[in-house]
Amino acid sequence: MKVKRNLGWLALLLFIALFPATVGRISPYYNTVLILVGIYVILAVSLDLLIGFAGQISVGHAAFFALGAYTSGILTAKHSISPSIALLSGLFVSGLVAWGIGRAVLRLKGYYLAMATLGLNAVIVKLITGFASITGGASGLLHIPPFQIFSLTLQDHTYYYYFVWGIVILVITCCLALTKSPFGSTLIAIHSDEEAASTLGIDCPKYKLHVFVISSMLAGVAGSLFAHFMGFIAPDDFDILTSILILVMLFLGGVGTIYGAALGAAFLKLLPEVTYGFHDYELFLHGLILILVLIFMPEGLLGILTNVKNRLLGSKVLSNPPSLGTDS
Amino acid sequence: MHDEAYENNRLHGKHLLWVDNITKSFSGLTALLDVSFGIERGHIKALIGPNGAGKTTLLNVISGILSPDRGHVYYRGKDLTRLRPHEIAAQGLSRTFQLVRLFTANNAKVLDNLMIGAHLKLKPSFVKSLFLRGTIHHQDRVIRETAYEKLRFVGLEPAAGETSPSNLPFGNQRLLEIARALMAEPEMLLLDEPASGLNDAEVEEFKKLLLAVKEKGITILLVEHNMKLVMDVADEIVVLDFGRKLAEGNCDEISCNRKVIEAYLGSDYVNVAGRNHSG
Amino acid sequence: MRHSGRFFVYEKELLVSVEGWALIDRSVLLQFLFSGITLGSVYALIAISLVIVYNVSRVLCFAQGEFFVFGALTMIALTALGIPMPIGFILTIVLVSGLGMVIERLLIRPVQNSSVGTVITMTVAISLCLRGLGLLIWGREAHTLPAFTKSKALSIFGAYLSVQVLWIIAAAAIVLLIIWLFFEKTLLGLSMRACAENRLGASLVGISVWKTTLFAWAWGAALGALAGVVIAPLIFVRYISGTMPMLKGFTAIAIGGLTTVGSVMAGLLLGIMEAYTVGLISSEFADAIVFSVLILVLLGRSYGILGKTEDGGM
Repeated sequence: MKVKRNLGWLALLLFIALFPATVGRISPYYNTVLILVGIYVILAVSLDLLIGFAGQISVGHAAFFALGAYTSGILTAKHSISPSIALLSGLFVSGLVAWGIGRAVLRLKGYYLAMATLGLNAVIVKLITGFASITGGASGLLHIPPFQIFSLTLQDHTYYYYFVWGIVILVITCCLALTKSPFGSTLIAIHSDEEAASTLGIDCPKYKLHVFVISSMLAGVAGSLFAHFMGFIAPDDFDILTSILILVMLFLGGVGTIYGAALGAAFLKLLPEVTYGFHDYELFLHGLILILVLIFMPEGLLGILTNVKNRLLGSKVLSNPPSLGTDS
Repeated sequence: MHDEAYENNRLHGKHLLWVDNITKSFSGLTALLDVSFGIERGHIKALIGPNGAGKTTLLNVISGILSPDRGHVYYRGKDLTRLRPHEIAAQGLSRTFQLVRLFTANNAKVLDNLMIGAHLKLKPSFVKSLFLRGTIHHQDRVIRETAYEKLRFVGLEPAAGETSPSNLPFGNQRLLEIARALMAEPEMLLLDEPASGLNDAEVEEFKKLLLAVKEKGITILLVEHNMKLVMDVADEIVVLDFGRKLAEGNCDEISCNRKVIEAYLGSDYVNVAGRNHSG
Repeated sequence: MRHSGRFFVYEKELLVSVEGWALIDRSVLLQFLFSGITLGSVYALIAISLVIVYNVSRVLCFAQGEFFVFGALTMIALTALGIPMPIGFILTIVLVSGLGMVIERLLIRPVQNSSVGTVITMTVAISLCLRGLGLLIWGREAHTLPAFTKSKALSIFGAYLSVQVLWIIAAAAIVLLIIWLFFEKTLLGLSMRACAENRLGASLVGISVWKTTLFAWAWGAALGALAGVVIAPLIFVRYISGTMPMLKGFTAIAIGGLTTVGSVMAGLLLGIMEAYTVGLISSEFADAIVFSVLILVLLGRSYGILGKTEDGGM
């Protein structure tokens, strides 16, 4: 039974591992596409911890994406600091900001929390644009060097691909470990009913803060990887639209499952490859997809795939769609 | 005043929970006014009164969900008044709710609810989840055993572990909430109208459960409307009316109390109390 | 006086800032005030549109900025087609309120009773859709509208007051009067207030909840569109211009609360505050300051300062 279940994942891992050597060899462009997919997988998965498990509505996740990217970018481009240290600094800065405001912000619920996170995203982007001497302002930060581990420069996209996807696998593994453990169950309790959870001894503010910091740090990591990949970043890459896109990825794939987030990110980032030429329709399409998912398939793609798989295997497992926050 | 304080100190030793002059208002409406009473270790104390008397408000104050405007809550002599709910739970007080509040997000099942109930024993942290997985596996096995034991204890099938709480019949949902509250091995249980909505047969079973819980040494504060249940299990009763304590005493005293009889019990119980009470 | 400064995406003659404090005199401060009242009127309109929709349907619309944009761009498109402004104006308001009603019926109704997270995500999705639609219809360029009336700007105590500003203030004042009359005197308005207070109770006395909710969204969309139309001559509008007005509308209701009076006053206050911040402190960081105020006010409310929220959220 266990082997059967893991066979699918092993196949996927194999595919990811062999991709650059096969498809990537033929057309290296696709390596870069998958690198970007990997970065957004990390973003979507990190947001899933916050929204899907802890039930905290954040519409400003790109703020921490930005913090990681700009910390890494500034340290490496302008101060020639080693990218590895810059990555850790990006992680640290995101985590620190999340820690600083998290306690207060997470006192808010529902609409107010959404408004506050939107505001946070906007503030960070405006601050980045404003302090142009440090960040390059609206025109962006240029000349970010490629990543370097010790003396090995990951100039080649193939090397960077393995580096990024190594991190992606690590992040997914950690998030699965978190969510399938008592820590994850605690988040689910908070998601369901904070007051009832507190009467069982759960210190809700503490756990909400912890998951917020972890989620933000992961977004910071994604930011650093993004900065070194693009070589150039601008505030527009991290505005509210980006936060919303991550939200769409999360819901499309299936919120509250970790795997769903990864699936949604991959799907949405690979979609333009299939529909190129209709670039202008993308925005509308994203909105439409989210609307359709919310009304007709709240469990997302993962839910559909699970139902199909169960149908094929003959088991009559009915899944309940996970909800956001408590149903009134 | 001095005498009262002296009395309180003397009584705290015998009483596990002591509620002292609790007053609570909401926007000018007085929900509780100078309510004081204690619960002896190992006893079942019933809190009765008509709807709106402030019973649930009092439970919310004791469990820390609300802070009183005045007064204190003492537990084992310790002042719990300003503590937050999770800190109070850590002291050994567990509670259930009038409208069952089970966890259903993310497809949480019955067993998940129970495992969450063991939070104080597990002390989860992200550090443990990432780096101490061996500890987690071990704890998981132990707590799982406890969960099944609690399910059996309240009268639910262990097989129910994998169902969704919303699929349980209403009475079983109540039992599940109690089982969840018991997972942390509390010293004291606050139950908010646990028998409401149960039929007579279910109430009988529930009575046995309450006595079984008492036998484990757990002290119970029981808010209830079902008078027969109250008379059968309670060691003492305290009566609230419009936020004030109307009377306090054992079942005989309460059922003989003119004010209480007139307002709540009806004349039937004046005679019933002497025969059926099983203090 | 130098004109530099920002408003929404591009500036035309709306906000000013001065180089050097020595240049500040009464006329400059007055100029800031005029800008502030202009901005404030627009913010007040957006804020009250959010409040009406929320109070009746318990939904805070994260797509409100898009109604603003659609209002402006529709008016611009109609005017460009040669349609006289007054007719274009009415047509625009009607079209966008229709859009609001369609959205309520088709998209909000299905998720009306879901959790807050789902509702928020739905309105966010709607905002994405509308934004995408805006891109498809009007392209990526910025558009603007000619002023309602072609007259020279007035000069009051040395400060320039564009006539369009008078239109904006007049429109806001008239609309607020209409709103007051509607909610105080008409049956439909009273029904909406009843719904806002107690949906179940309202339906029990025979008020059609679905009709009132539909109408509330019509109001919300119409007011958002109106805000866009009146300010369009003073700014450049693009398909993405909706975010900032929406966020500033949120800031206004965070400050003023979810009441008609509070949100209007807060909107005006916010506009004036922003104008003075742009003028006296910094134009690059004005928005950052405004949104920091949003966050701080929300946090303040959660701690019980500045008045309580309903247990930290709506």
